[in-house]
Amino acid sequence: MTEAEKDNEILARAAGLRWQLGDNFHDKLTEGIYTDAAQIAAHAVETPAGERHYTFDSKIDKIVTSKTWGFPIMIGLLAVILWITIEGANYPSGMLFTLLIDTVHPLLKSLAAHIGLPLWLDGLLIDGIYLAVAWVVAVMLPPMAIFFPLFTLLEDFGYLPRVAFNMDALFKKAGAHGKQALTMSMGWGCNAAGVIATRIIDSPRERLIAIITNNFSLCNGRWPTQILIATIFIGALVPASLSGLVASAAVIGIALLGVAFMFLTSWGLSKTVLKGEVSTFTLELPPYRPPRIWQTIYTSVIDRTLIVLWRAVIFAAPAGAVIWLVANVHIGDITIANHVIDFLDPLGVFVGLNGVILLAYIIAIPANEIVIPTILMLTVANLGLIGVGDTSGKLFELDSAMATGSILSAGGWTLLTGINLMLFSLLHNPCSTTIYTIYKETNSWKWTTLASLLPVIMGLVVTFLVTQFWHLIWLMPEVKP
Amino acid sequence: MPMPDNTACNNCALHNTAGLKKLGIDTANVDYVVALAGNPNTGKSTVFNALTGMRQHTGNWPGKTVVRAEGGFSYNSHKYKLIDLPGTYSLLSTSQDEEVARNFILFGRPDVTVIVVDASRLERNLNLTLQVLEITDKAVLCLNLIDEAARHHIKIDQRALARDLGIPVVPTTARSQQGIPELLKAIDDVATGAIICRPHKVKNLSKPVEKAVKQLAGALEQQFPGLPNSRWLAFRLLEGDSRITAAVKNNELKELVRP
Amino acid sequence: MNPAALNLIGFFALVALLWLAIRLITRKNILHTKTRQQKTLTEDILKQLYHVEQSQRSATLSDLSGALKVRRSKILPVIEAMAASGLIQTSDDRLQLTPAGREYALKIVRVHRLWEKYLAEKTGHQPSEWHHLAEKMEHRLDEAAISNLSASLGNPLFDPHGDPIPSAKGEVLPVKWQPLPSYPENVPGKIVHIEDEPGVIYQQILARRILVGSHVKIRKSTAREIVFTCEGHQHRLSPIVAANISVGPLATEEHYQENAIRLSALREGEQARVIGISQECRGASRRRLLDLGILPGTTVEVDFTSPLQDPVAYKIRNTTIALRQDLADLILIKKTNTHAYAG
Repeated sequence: MTEAEKDNEILARAAGLRWQLGDNFHDKLTEGIYTDAAQIAAHAVETPAGERHYTFDSKIDKIVTSKTWGFPIMIGLLAVILWITIEGANYPSGMLFTLLIDTVHPLLKSLAAHIGLPLWLDGLLIDGIYLAVAWVVAVMLPPMAIFFPLFTLLEDFGYLPRVAFNMDALFKKAGAHGKQALTMSMGWGCNAAGVIATRIIDSPRERLIAIITNNFSLCNGRWPTQILIATIFIGALVPASLSGLVASAAVIGIALLGVAFMFLTSWGLSKTVLKGEVSTFTLELPPYRPPRIWQTIYTSVIDRTLIVLWRAVIFAAPAGAVIWLVANVHIGDITIANHVIDFLDPLGVFVGLNGVILLAYIIAIPANEIVIPTILMLTVANLGLIGVGDTSGKLFELDSAMATGSILSAGGWTLLTGINLMLFSLLHNPCSTTIYTIYKETNSWKWTTLASLLPVIMGLVVTFLVTQFWHLIWLMPEVKP
Repeated sequence: MPMPDNTACNNCALHNTAGLKKLGIDTANVDYVVALAGNPNTGKSTVFNALTGMRQHTGNWPGKTVVRAEGGFSYNSHKYKLIDLPGTYSLLSTSQDEEVARNFILFGRPDVTVIVVDASRLERNLNLTLQVLEITDKAVLCLNLIDEAARHHIKIDQRALARDLGIPVVPTTARSQQGIPELLKAIDDVATGAIICRPHKVKNLSKPVEKAVKQLAGALEQQFPGLPNSRWLAFRLLEGDSRITAAVKNNELKELVRP
Repeated sequence: MNPAALNLIGFFALVALLWLAIRLITRKNILHTKTRQQKTLTEDILKQLYHVEQSQRSATLSDLSGALKVRRSKILPVIEAMAASGLIQTSDDRLQLTPAGREYALKIVRVHRLWEKYLAEKTGHQPSEWHHLAEKMEHRLDEAAISNLSASLGNPLFDPHGDPIPSAKGEVLPVKWQPLPSYPENVPGKIVHIEDEPGVIYQQILARRILVGSHVKIRKSTAREIVFTCEGHQHRLSPIVAANISVGPLATEEHYQENAIRLSALREGEQARVIGISQECRGASRRRLLDLGILPGTTVEVDFTSPLQDPVAYKIRNTTIALRQDLADLILIKKTNTHAYAG
């Protein structure tokens, strides 16, 4: 008998024995192991008799999962975290801006002039690459460095699994896992971090749902865009005393709309493409443990913030180069950007946006943070405005919303464009850092493509419908600027 | 020829270098390879950090480490490589994490496997422990979170436990470094062979299961004399594990026989 | 007309068209070649004749045409080809399997049932989808793929509905079933099979969460309705529905669990002992429950409940595990005593 035959004999024997044992072998095996485990544990462990243990944990659990207090505590904590993040990030963000863009940038420029760097190289390196990277760092770093440690403290304490427990019934209706409430919240900080966080979901189908729908969480790169546009276009609809309030309500409305789209898409995915994926639900609720504050801050800054920031920087650098090139290289007598804008404009107007916005979303794919500066740069360059903003073909932002508004109006923007930009900022492809992270986490081109294309298709459809209904209601024929 | 000092350990490369390479572990300049297994949420990553001095994030979550983490430390002039396996409740099921963990312990043949358990939830954690002991006979039980157990007035007779399991048992509180020196010593003792483990094998299998396992394990041992974990392989073959089936077919099991 | 209105009409028309196209492609298999369709029909006929033979009946051409919902004119040439290749024989107008045909039919049945088992164990598809998906797959697998599939499932003996899976050699385990209406009253029994066709009746049974493996006792059996208890619930079914449920006697080592209830029925402050996990809990979910130590004899109690009532956190082997109601429905328990809180 050859070796191969002997091996197959073993396999045949295994098959035969299995046939005799019947279908519940796994059950029997586990029962056997647990019987041993119980015997050994009984031998070695002495538990206090009669008394109910873990009363401290039980008391906390009774409160944080109670009908009365469960949801208020959750919403309260989330509001506090968001408030600290937004308020706390303002100051360091401004400082970084002053340092990196107002101070270091001119310094680099004069240094380049001093050593006689050719103009095109100076533009590409300093106005292109450096400026994009600096922008991303200044906008992205402070909120993430505040948001993630706060979140991690709650995680280390053991509160977050209780949030998943409280929210599960809602997510179950959409075919998703309660833990998606957490990955969604992490997405409000950063979608790439939210996608990494889906590792806590141990059921394959629900994890994919959480990954694909994370982009519907309005991330911190998009909050500033929303706030700016809401202030310019929606705040202006009401008296000045109310405008701040109305603009904030509009932004929160967009974020909630994102939650609605998240639920809708989750439900749709679980009923269609993902219905065959394995799904299980068990949620272990660990005991509460006092968090170690300094260690948490250190590790969450290192693990979450810096890793994600590093990925963003790597993607922002080449994008900076591309942005500078399209805005400064001429074909014929206009720039590449203007060629593309002219080409994209009909489609843009059809869905209630314009060519500038579409081009900005294409070349600013690495980071949502640089979308507004790119739009401003392209608008100014496209119109050939003189004396407004910075006309030298590089990213810029203006100090007042009003000044930004006047550039945009000159670019043909209306209230409808503003609303559509807010919608499209919520519903478009994830940034390239997130796309890369999705690929790393799923290891599948199929799911990465779906996660990238689904939101942008939805965005185009939604802005299209809004635009057409808008025109239908106002009975205005299409006016092309 | 005298060996240079930094590769002092002449005869200690007991681990299976080829097998580990296949699993993506670089064993150059390493004397011993140690795997870290455990249930989710037992502070396994904290133990990892305490041993290696690294600062991997550890969350109060079931199932945090999905990506395998690696680190190194040296003790008693031996160089160790530590592999943090995914936290799992069991090694018998089909999830990807469990596959990674069980195949690493089986095919990677680490010199020592440290099983981290939550002292307050010993019974549940022993399920995994007993499975690991079916695969490898070089293991150390790290009885972590012992402070939490004490707070809940749970007392553990670690000697009885060590006797029943047949492996060293070290109580630790990894987050405050308590018990880590003792854990290092136990790892070193098992790795160098100063302590020989006599691991507990599961005794309470139902009669038909025990009979079938015995038959199949016997056949395996006949085919591959000296196979250290024939019972475990029999469990897996009876479950239809395709990885093990393939290993039978292509004779890979031969490599599991310790010289 | 307003151009916006035109745009909108155009858009919705496009969406409707796309949707229709997708439905057409997925429903009608219009992408299949002629020979593929022939093979499928041949195999469907063989399987149908096998089932007919199992119920000790015989079939005519019109019976087949009715059962398979295919026109006679389409079946006829296939039947002729099958007779010519020795898969079936005809006597009068009765069609019968030849030994070769039976062997072929058993292979198809084997693939179908293995595939249903696969869908139940390794995917997240719903029970109501299994049959339809297996019908498609049974025509596609070759010999090697089938034996791999069987091995990876641990060479199972029964499919998820309780039907025996023919072995590679064509052996079929004999079964001792009785339809529920003819099972004796007040004798404990176990549900061993639930027929998945017709789908309308199967859906009704699924909706009541009557599951293979559950213990039953018939309380009253009349020509108008069958009253029986199953896992702490009393059910009333019409005989036509009940006939699709088959019951067998309990094995010698099994004890009828008179007061077995579902874990989901346990309330805060009560304690219980696990009796077992229903056979309907399969694959990854079943393994996870076992891994967490939910085994016969394990003590469980409710720890606390989510504000929306689902899931519920249970205390199991000193750990707190939250389970959704649909999973807790599949764990059978027996209440022991009510637990008194200290403090």
